[in-house]
Amino acid sequence: MKFPDPVQIAVPFFILLIIIEMVAVKRGARGAYDWRDSATSLTMGMGSTLAGLLSAGIVAGLAFWFWQHRLFDIPIAWWSGILCFVLDDFAYYVFHRTAHRIRWFWASHVIHHSSQHYNLSTALRQTWTGFISLGFIFRLPLFLIGFPPALVFFCAALNLVYQFWIHTEVVKRLPWGLEAWLNTPSHHRVHHGTNPRYLDRNYAGVFIVWDRWLGTFEPEHDDEPVRYGIVKNLPTFNPLWTATHEWVGIAKDVWHAPSWKARWMYIAGPPGWTPDGSRDTADVIRAAWEQEQAQAQAAE
Amino acid sequence: MNWLTLVVLPGAGIALLVVLARWLGFNTQPVLTGPDEARTIAHDALVAFHAEQAAIGADARAALVAGRDGRVALVRPHGDRWIVRVANGARVTRSGDTLTVALDEPLFAPVQLKLATDAAGWAARLEAKP
Repeated sequence: MKFPDPVQIAVPFFILLIIIEMVAVKRGARGAYDWRDSATSLTMGMGSTLAGLLSAGIVAGLAFWFWQHRLFDIPIAWWSGILCFVLDDFAYYVFHRTAHRIRWFWASHVIHHSSQHYNLSTALRQTWTGFISLGFIFRLPLFLIGFPPALVFFCAALNLVYQFWIHTEVVKRLPWGLEAWLNTPSHHRVHHGTNPRYLDRNYAGVFIVWDRWLGTFEPEHDDEPVRYGIVKNLPTFNPLWTATHEWVGIAKDVWHAPSWKARWMYIAGPPGWTPDGSRDTADVIRAAWEQEQAQAQAAE
Repeated sequence: MNWLTLVVLPGAGIALLVVLARWLGFNTQPVLTGPDEARTIAHDALVAFHAEQAAIGADARAALVAGRDGRVALVRPHGDRWIVRVANGARVTRSGDTLTVALDEPLFAPVQLKLATDAAGWAARLEAKP
């Protein structure tokens, strides 16, 4: 069975929705754009597509190899499609959480967070080095279970398309209880925040239930506006530096590391880890903030 | 898939959106409203940074903020937003009341601040380790 490519179908709608959001923001809707920032985001998106094509053959080959050693014969049907979509979303959650907690994966994923804006163009700010960081390994268990590669890739593309529209400040909250189980603009704004309270929270792709279940959920607080970006925001809009800065950082750190343990931790430790604690990990930032909050409460 | 669908059409789409963004006026430069704003920006960006004194450049487009622990934060614009760095140990050159602060960071352009008072004092603070 041949599936359509949801991303290819969605691209004209992406462009249209970005135009609509820009005009809405210009007319007073919540949100912000900067033409330089959007230029970088869109260039990163185009580069990501090209980079993905270069590695697509290897990823597909691996997928088929795992599927040949599958545990079950799962047919393509409505029920297997739903099951595959849900499990793929969980695989995305695991990937995404890892991408924030291990610097090797972060070096690739940081690109998506490197904008200080949060709008629909930010959704397209994607990595050029996903293949190098091995992000695709998180989907391999699905092939081993027995989901046909075409079905998995279709579900993954649907997941990607879903995540486009949640990158907006225009939508405040969703009605009808959808905030309880879906990843929404509000939940994902938190994920893009550098406020200590919001750091490393809400990893979900489509279903926020994974975060609620695994203790990584944080609601958006109306009295604490999200500050978007990364802990050390980039000083340039240069797409090449945006794509590679963390890899360069890893290389420099590993080169100058005082020991093999430090070399390993610079790669496999959390972003911000240093042997002397001279930089801050997300956990350190959160702990410092919690201490500050506790002191402020004690003083009241 | 060919060059038209891979590069030309997406490139045209990007150009359209970027031109539209400029045309709609999304090309502003931020200006600091006062020392309080500089202090808030530095406090929000740096871990456990308790901002004290702040000095803003004459054009209100950059600032130095001294922290209680001896750190000095450099606040400068990036697009329509701000970026902040701890600037202790930066290369500082002083010409009258103008400081040029250069960090050892790729693509971080040197920042010039024309200060109303105490440029020498701020230069000394920047040279000191926290």
